[in-house]
Amino acid sequence: MIADLPQIIVTGLALGGLYALMASGLTLIFGVMRIVNLAHPAFIFISAYITWKLFTDLSIDPLVALAVTMPVMFVFGMIVYKLFFAREADNPRYIEITVLTTFALALIIEGVLGFIFKGTVRSTNPPYSQQAFFIGDIFLSRAQLYAGLIGIGLIAFLWVILQYTRIGYAIRATTQNRSAAQVVGVNVERTSMIAFGLGVAMAGAAGSLFSFVFTFFPGGHWEWLAILLALIVLGGMGSLPGAVIGAYLLTIASVFVNDQIGFKWGPMTFFLALFIVLMVRPQGLFGSKIEAT
Amino acid sequence: MSLLEIDGVVAGYGRGPDILRGVDLTVEEGEVQCIIGPNGAGKSTLLKTIAGLLRPRKGRVVFQGEVLNGLRPDQIIRRGIAFLPQERSLFPDMTVLENLRMGGYALEDKSLMSERIEEAFAQFPILKERYKQKARTLSGGQQQMLVMGRALVLRPHLVMLDEPSLGLAPQIVAQLFEIVRGFKDQGMTVLMVEQNARQGLNCADRGCVLDLGQRVFDGPADGILDDPRIQELYLGTQKKAETS
Amino acid sequence: MATADVSVTDNRDTTTSSGYKSRKYILGVIVAALALVPVLQWQTTNNLNFWLNLLIIIFLWITMSTSWNIIGGYAGYISLGHNVFAAIGGYLAAMLLLRLDIPVFVTAPFAGLVAMVVGFVIGLITLRVRGPAFIISTIALVLVLRTIIDNWDFLGGVRGLTLPLIGLDVQLVKIPFYYAMLLVALLSIYFSYWIRHSKFGLGLRAISQDEIKAETAGIPTKMYKVLAYAASAFFIGVAGALWSQYVTFVDPGTYLIILFGARPVLMTLLGGKGTVAGPVVGAALVILATEFSESQFGGTELNVIGVGVVMIIVLLFFPDGLVGSLRRAGRLPALLDWD
Ligand SMILES: Nc1ncnc2c1ncn2[C@@H]1O[C@H](COP(=O)(O)OP(=O)(O)O)[C@@H](O)[C@H]1O
Ligand SMILES: [Mg+2]
Repeated sequence: MIADLPQIIVTGLALGGLYALMASGLTLIFGVMRIVNLAHPAFIFISAYITWKLFTDLSIDPLVALAVTMPVMFVFGMIVYKLFFAREADNPRYIEITVLTTFALALIIEGVLGFIFKGTVRSTNPPYSQQAFFIGDIFLSRAQLYAGLIGIGLIAFLWVILQYTRIGYAIRATTQNRSAAQVVGVNVERTSMIAFGLGVAMAGAAGSLFSFVFTFFPGGHWEWLAILLALIVLGGMGSLPGAVIGAYLLTIASVFVNDQIGFKWGPMTFFLALFIVLMVRPQGLFGSKIEAT
Repeated sequence: MSLLEIDGVVAGYGRGPDILRGVDLTVEEGEVQCIIGPNGAGKSTLLKTIAGLLRPRKGRVVFQGEVLNGLRPDQIIRRGIAFLPQERSLFPDMTVLENLRMGGYALEDKSLMSERIEEAFAQFPILKERYKQKARTLSGGQQQMLVMGRALVLRPHLVMLDEPSLGLAPQIVAQLFEIVRGFKDQGMTVLMVEQNARQGLNCADRGCVLDLGQRVFDGPADGILDDPRIQELYLGTQKKAETS
Repeated sequence: MATADVSVTDNRDTTTSSGYKSRKYILGVIVAALALVPVLQWQTTNNLNFWLNLLIIIFLWITMSTSWNIIGGYAGYISLGHNVFAAIGGYLAAMLLLRLDIPVFVTAPFAGLVAMVVGFVIGLITLRVRGPAFIISTIALVLVLRTIIDNWDFLGGVRGLTLPLIGLDVQLVKIPFYYAMLLVALLSIYFSYWIRHSKFGLGLRAISQDEIKAETAGIPTKMYKVLAYAASAFFIGVAGALWSQYVTFVDPGTYLIILFGARPVLMTLLGGKGTVAGPVVGAALVILATEFSESQFGGTELNVIGVGVVMIIVLLFFPDGLVGSLRRAGRLPALLDWD
């Protein structure tokens, strides 16, 4: 009945790497700071627009632009953290205030992008964005393949940082037990700032790849928000491997829905999954607890 | 000059009331001092204030002649004060080995850290056996050993323990106080809060009583144990609880 | 941590001062004046329609934010998706008008009831989680409903439904909506006031401060939360229904966008979360500022930026909002102290 299954899985696997990359920063930021960063897709869009600008004005390949967007977004993320979140650490209404602040940031970014780039739907079209491989009769877009592979590569890079470097230890420690981290001598404020920067740098990388795989317009980030939240909620908020698994599962599922039920219903996979997982198992399929209040 | 001098420290949480209401206290180089007092007296609050987790509202915390007021916890630990809080502050999803490494986070010298981790393994063979296991899978006693092992890795000048015996089985408690004495033999100074007042004082050189955010008594540990007023006020219920 | 922001006890000690005595009369005069505004329409040509329209929009958003405040302010459960109730009200009234020819003024209360019942059911499901999980679930809800409506031709799909104008000439066409929306706004404020001063409201505020303590104090927290959620849906459903025919269409792109859900949150935060007067003040200010900036500078981008910037400033510097900050400073005019 499902003759397209191999095709569905191949497409899902290729796209899944990019989805995972987009979600990785979101889950990292939630893990370390308990901030649900509603502006994450907006950050991705900033980078997509930078990449688009570099591509159209200077003919810089989006894959090369990644070397610009990642560091720029890293610094941008740290500044955002310092300006808006550093001072809230002891606020008894922390969760509420930070969520709403990221919400407001998303609105500002949407407005600024609209102001500069207008509402036109954009994307970059480097040569590989129109090419594809055929394995038998399975079709694989080069754009998706590149994005997926680089996405997974960057997540592996992030994972190595977290697992083996000094700042990685500090970030993991702060994620697992903030006060214990403080007690062993981790400067949790600085660690949070760097973690936020790293998360936004991942969004930066994702944005460059996003620019040639998908289209974007200033208000388009909200739909992505729900998609990314679905990925990290499914995998367990704050967990990086969880986000990767969540990304592959849901991407394959949505490609399946696209194929079998219709394109219009693909996004519904994410929205429904998000809602159902939150209600049935808010800690995610594999995750540890999600902190209430 | 004492190692640590606390002068009229006033502290509290957020915008809340003063919990410490002018505490004076000194800790001498090389001693084991035990703080006792009823629940809610502010014992934990005092240790948190020294560790920099709370800022003093008034008064001074002086360590080796340097005023610590206003320093962050990570700066204070680098000056040689380690704090082992009441809630065992482990990293549940890190392995035993990684937790020990976190204990040495404040050490500059990484080869020294590996050496110390080996020493900690030598003292706590159970940790060596389970070095690859996640901390969350350890029993309560083993978790406390891991916390103590972490202090051994850092080997601070002054180590502050908040109710280390809480929730441990009696035979493990005895072992624990031996470890605390061991800290002293390894050249560390110890400031310890204990609900288990008798055993805590037995292990200590000097004791002090904190009540309602103020120090109400201090002196040699055995003096406190023998003082009839203190027995009545602060040790009485403890005695009954222990004999029953 | 400090829990000083919403005090559960009634800390007003100036009830007897003259400000409070005259408050009733001043408010009465304001309401009477608002009720008389359309009368001026007889005197002028239709250029008063601009002001009627502005006031209708303000009444709409007062209703939205005042209702949102019941669950978001009193109970402390932040919903970013209360526009689903406006959509339910709007679509229901639109369908009844198109299919059965029943005017929205008749169906609006019914639309409110349906929104409330749906709110009750959704509340039963979503209010079992707290904090980030709850907030995220409210966003998910909007997108689920949006995807359904986008793809449901029966409800007009992406293009929505176009409704007929009511058969009055241009001079009169706004007046029924004006009175209906004014009435809904006043009723929602009164409802909010009533809850704020009831035992139910006290329970909600206990929940917002410490749900576990509230539970141990014997408050049926679960029931209270769900009731508050349902209550907050009612007037939003009514207003959504009226709005659909007022603007003569319903479509997912108006009702089910995130900005719609964000607005009542912004207004309530700006005015003062958890106070009766806050959402009213916040709604009026935000709408006036929006209309002004749109007429001066045009462009929705600036509008979106403005919403975001004001929201951040309020969050960072006046987390208690205007009413809350003024009260804390002891300078809240008696006229606005409805708590
Ligand atoms: N995080 C906190 N926030 C607010 N008050 C606290 C906090 N921790 C402790 N307290 C209050 O400080 C007082 C002293 O607590 P604590 O120092 O833990 O006492 P002890 O350790 O002597 O039992 C208690 O009344 C307690 O309620
Ligand atoms: Mg204590």
